[in-house]
Amino acid sequence: MKSVVIGAHLRRDDIEGADAIPAGELFLSALPVADDQPLGDRELLLRVARTRAALLDRATFIAIRYGLTVSSESEAKTKCAAHLEHWRALLERHRDDVEMTLKVVAPERVARPDRREFTSGAEYLRALHAATNAVDVDAEFRTAAEQAIGMGRWLHRDQASLELAALVARDAVERVRAAGEELKRRFPGVPFLLSGPWPLEVFADAHSE
Amino acid sequence: MNETLEELSLLETLDHLLDRGVVVAGEAVVSIGDVDLLYLGLNIVLANVDAVKRTSKR
Repeated sequence: MKSVVIGAHLRRDDIEGADAIPAGELFLSALPVADDQPLGDRELLLRVARTRAALLDRATFIAIRYGLTVSSESEAKTKCAAHLEHWRALLERHRDDVEMTLKVVAPERVARPDRREFTSGAEYLRALHAATNAVDVDAEFRTAAEQAIGMGRWLHRDQASLELAALVARDAVERVRAAGEELKRRFPGVPFLLSGPWPLEVFADAHSE
Repeated sequence: MNETLEELSLLETLDHLLDRGVVVAGEAVVSIGDVDLLYLGLNIVLANVDAVKRTSKR
């Protein structure tokens, strides 16, 4: 039996409906699965997604990218050791915050580079990165989006969209949703999706800091 | 309309599950060696953008 890790939590009683695995001063939420269970199984993905949402209803946690599995408490602690202190500080600082995301579809999809046109993998990856970063949205919409959900981080996700992720106080989620509706009325020609609340995802990822 | 919104919500949820959060020591990359799952992740991103466009036109 192995466990699929969902997130890192400040307190044990933040976790219900999943196992709580101690890791230093924190606790990892996890679902037990058979060793031969493929992680790509649709039902497992949906079960993890439902559990993740229920956990966020209880308290804010650090989201761990899907795919981390552990077989014991000591393995969990070892694998997460480098992050634990940082996670604890984040969880204490953002106990009452959640993330919200505004995904904007770019006016034009940037063409994805064709792998066959490159002689090296590194060149191809650089071109892929450049294509993703070339995606842009209207400057006026950018400013309005930041005013609606708050100053956050703009992220290039793919060749067709951009995302603004922001930290929002739990008690401000409805206000932000209302601001999103207003944004929709103001920019009817800009396809976007405001979603959340989410656990600490972007703001817990050291690579996007 | 509700079905589209539900589809969009599910796509967005799975997109966040698969493509957000902390990667612990490259573990996710190693564990998701399953090619089908990687393709699933890519399809989610594409379908997600298309679904956002569809709902915005209504």
